[in-house]
Amino acid sequence: MKLKHSLFTRRQFLNGLFGGWITALLATFIYPVVKFIFPAYREPDEVILLFSDFEGMAPGSVKRFPWGSKPGILKKNDDGTYLAFVGVCTHLDCNVAYLPEQKKFFCACHDGWYDEYGTNIGGPPAHPLRRLVVEIAAPDLIIKREDVE
Amino acid sequence: MKNWPKELSIWLDDRFGLSAITQFLKEKPVPQHKHSIWLYTGSAILLFFVIQVVTGFMLILYYKPTLDAANASVARIMTEVPLGWIIRSVHSWSSTFMIAFVFIHLISIWLTKSYRKPREITWMSGVFLLACSLVFGFTGYLLPWDDLSLSATKVGTDIPRSIPVVGAWVTKLLRGGGDVTGDTLTRFFGIHVCILPIFIFLLLAIHVYLIQKKGMSIPLDAETRNEDVPTIPFWPNFVYREMVVWLVLVGILFSIAIVFPPSLDKQADLMAAAPEGVKPEWYFLFLFQTLKIFPAKILFVNGDSVAVLIMLLAGLFIFFLPVIDNKPTERKGKIITALGYVLVVYALIMSVWSLL
Ligand code: HEM
Ligand code: FES
Repeated sequence: MKLKHSLFTRRQFLNGLFGGWITALLATFIYPVVKFIFPAYREPDEVILLFSDFEGMAPGSVKRFPWGSKPGILKKNDDGTYLAFVGVCTHLDCNVAYLPEQKKFFCACHDGWYDEYGTNIGGPPAHPLRRLVVEIAAPDLIIKREDVE
Repeated sequence: MKNWPKELSIWLDDRFGLSAITQFLKEKPVPQHKHSIWLYTGSAILLFFVIQVVTGFMLILYYKPTLDAANASVARIMTEVPLGWIIRSVHSWSSTFMIAFVFIHLISIWLTKSYRKPREITWMSGVFLLACSLVFGFTGYLLPWDDLSLSATKVGTDIPRSIPVVGAWVTKLLRGGGDVTGDTLTRFFGIHVCILPIFIFLLLAIHVYLIQKKGMSIPLDAETRNEDVPTIPFWPNFVYREMVVWLVLVGILFSIAIVFPPSLDKQADLMAAAPEGVKPEWYFLFLFQTLKIFPAKILFVNGDSVAVLIMLLAGLFIFFLPVIDNKPTERKGKIITALGYVLVVYALIMSVWSLL
């Protein structure tokens, strides 16, 4: 039914009203759904370890520690200083291994290689291993993200 | 009451009206020609899919989708649960068979051009079915939660990251966070046993409906010459033939499953280095090898991004193939058929290479 001066029929008006209402209702559901399926994730700013657990490491050896849900790798250099890395390959995220005899990091997933300072030297990785900052404040060993003061 | 089955069926038909369907299937013609053998691949896929559903429902009774319990629950299925090892083995092998037949099905339709008008949407729903099958395989592979499956999943879920703009979000969505963790396991479990089954049933319904609606295609040359192709009725003639195929396939499947049960490594350790020989399932090997041979940098861009973009474009090309191949009898159509052969050869060479 359409009144003489009306722009719509009654059916068109109701369709528009209900259609708009349902669309608007659905749209308000999308935000919470998306929010829900992407969990908040933050990697740690720093982790605090016990220095005594790492003090006795032989020069040239490495030890793992948990960096959030990733493995961290602490390496003792020959001169007794420490270097820390996030132990995941910059290619496609596999956990890397350190081969002390060759002084190299190795990723078994696609044969990626890094030297003892974490620089990518072979295979698919396009970036060096991520470094972390090591701070010794006995009895603590503090490992920080590079961008955290 | 002597003839009660007949009476019951009449009683039921009064209520459901299913005789229209049986009548339709009796009349549905199945063409007989030199490519008819490929018509059996579709129902072979359905056979393996049904086996997946049944064995999957059984495995779910014992499987525990958590970080601490997953690996041990699979070990228990393999060692303690009566006949558990056969059920797991059949589920694992039948997935391989199903995906293999989906590939064969797809390529046979590509090469015979059965996707041509008016079967474009049948093909497109089929491409989605292929995607669903691959996601089934990918999510299922993580569930035993051993060293190899963890690393393979880390790599697989990290690949989308090299897609510009949305990539990082996709990776996060798949993993349920920044890394592969227990949350990823739970998420993959939910996808594998709940979300995907619903989707694949919907897609199958569309696919099978369209096949009935549009009927079976006849070969391109017969169609252009307007020839009559001999046919047999779908029911019972064609179905009986399919049953023979199913019987043989089930025999092969169970023999292989009993002789070669799948292995189970030690529980995945999120902190341990990736083990040697990380490989995805066989149906991803050609993609895996493609990624591996791309250099880290091509000019100034990341090699992986280039590789992933090429793969995405190839996927889109395959999806829209019936629309792109709009002149099947002409030169363009021949080139597209040739591309199908190239794809098969490429996939075979890459897969074999990745195993060397
Ligand atoms: C779970 C996966 C799938 C199942 C269960 C399935 C099932 C079937 C069945 C039972 C048929 C009828 C018999 C036959 O022609 O072989 C069929 C036909 C067809 N399928 Fe699939 N299919 C699947 C995947 C695919 C894929 C991946 C594609 C292509 C991308 C595809 C495209 C088609 C087309 C175009 C037809 C019509 C063929 C003709 O009319 O000659 N299907 N499918
Ligand atoms: S993930 Fe390390 S080389 Fe690919």
